[in-house]
Amino acid sequence: MRKPILVALLLAGAAPALAAQGSYYARLGLTGASKLVTDEIIQPINTRQSLAPTLFAGVDLPLGKVYRVGLEGALSTGGFHADQKSTRYDLGTLRTASVTAQLVGPLMPGLEWRAGIGILKYLPADKTGIFARGGPLVAIFGAGADYRRPALKHWDLMLSARYDYHRFTTDELQARGFANTEGVHRISLSIGLARSSR
Amino acid sequence: MKRTLALAALALGVAALACNEVSAPARANRYEWRLFAANPQGGTDTLSFHWPAGQVVRIWAEDSLDLATHVQNGIAAWQDALLYNELQAELVSDSSSADIIVRAGFPPKQFERMRLGSYFAPECSGATDLDVSDDHTELTLPIHSYIAPKGLELTPAAIECIDLTTTHELGHAFGIMQHAPDPADLMYGDPVVTAPSEADRETLQAVYHFPPTMTLVRH
Repeated sequence: MRKPILVALLLAGAAPALAAQGSYYARLGLTGASKLVTDEIIQPINTRQSLAPTLFAGVDLPLGKVYRVGLEGALSTGGFHADQKSTRYDLGTLRTASVTAQLVGPLMPGLEWRAGIGILKYLPADKTGIFARGGPLVAIFGAGADYRRPALKHWDLMLSARYDYHRFTTDELQARGFANTEGVHRISLSIGLARSSR
Repeated sequence: MKRTLALAALALGVAALACNEVSAPARANRYEWRLFAANPQGGTDTLSFHWPAGQVVRIWAEDSLDLATHVQNGIAAWQDALLYNELQAELVSDSSSADIIVRAGFPPKQFERMRLGSYFAPECSGATDLDVSDDHTELTLPIHSYIAPKGLELTPAAIECIDLTTTHELGHAFGIMQHAPDPADLMYGDPVVTAPSEADRETLQAVYHFPPTMTLVRH
């Protein structure tokens, strides 16, 4: 419990310095993901996450005159389920947490692109089923775009789209003889506020 | 900037196309779980059932032989065999609303429907009665299972026998309507192993993903 508080205090303390040099932001949105795994028992079974509310937070710092570097964290929580023909199996709650290091550059006035790499951790609420041996930690590759428009004196309205990709499997799936990994594509749309040096 | 964007897009494209999908295991160890029964027309009906997705199966255990603990162990063992939460079950305190009733003792002699029994272990025996309709389309609830020690004392061997036999009988009540052909399986007619084997687990998976031929009813 102490560590998150310490990190929050450090971030809060660093906020004025960040505001002077770059920006920080927070957004809320929805993330959709492609299927996590396809199984076949008599008929195909697809396991996928539901649309998940997602909280994003990040900081950007200047890198030369044109580009910036950023660190973005995202936390999503939602349900996940398996579908086989007309039958749906509710599998409970699945959270994901990710941190991505990004390069940021301009596209046109008010619009920026981002690309980066990072890590994503699956955090199932229950250690059962495909997550019986816990959730995996995977590498992610992502890109996105932000649209900013001044909203308040020091705050911009920030509309963002993100795409990321990773390979998925779990220890439980591997223990049960599943081979290879599944490519998972995720897309999110979010809206929030960004503090800028304006 | 265009070069950076192009490189990023290329990296993402390569990553997306680089690998195959997950490939599911063959699950080649499962055995026949369906029951084949003669019908009045002179043919054979294939009988199978499973508990519907999302339904919590209510199990009542008699307050004897520590059956509640053994039933909990059995539920956990079979749920662990499944990946998609296909089977949800819980112990209940009211036998009148139970879907499965587990009693201590020997089954009644005059049961006229289908009985799956495990009688040969020296320490205990078990049986599960399935009340299948004459036309083989309905299975009337509750399902009754019986666990009976053969000795007067509950020795460690007898307790182990009761535990594995309870799990075996729950295997029947959860949908495995036949005995396994291999003694290494918990669903073998005279079970000796203490937990579901890979073949048992794969068979239960098939039970829950194969269309059932009987519906569960309560009169």
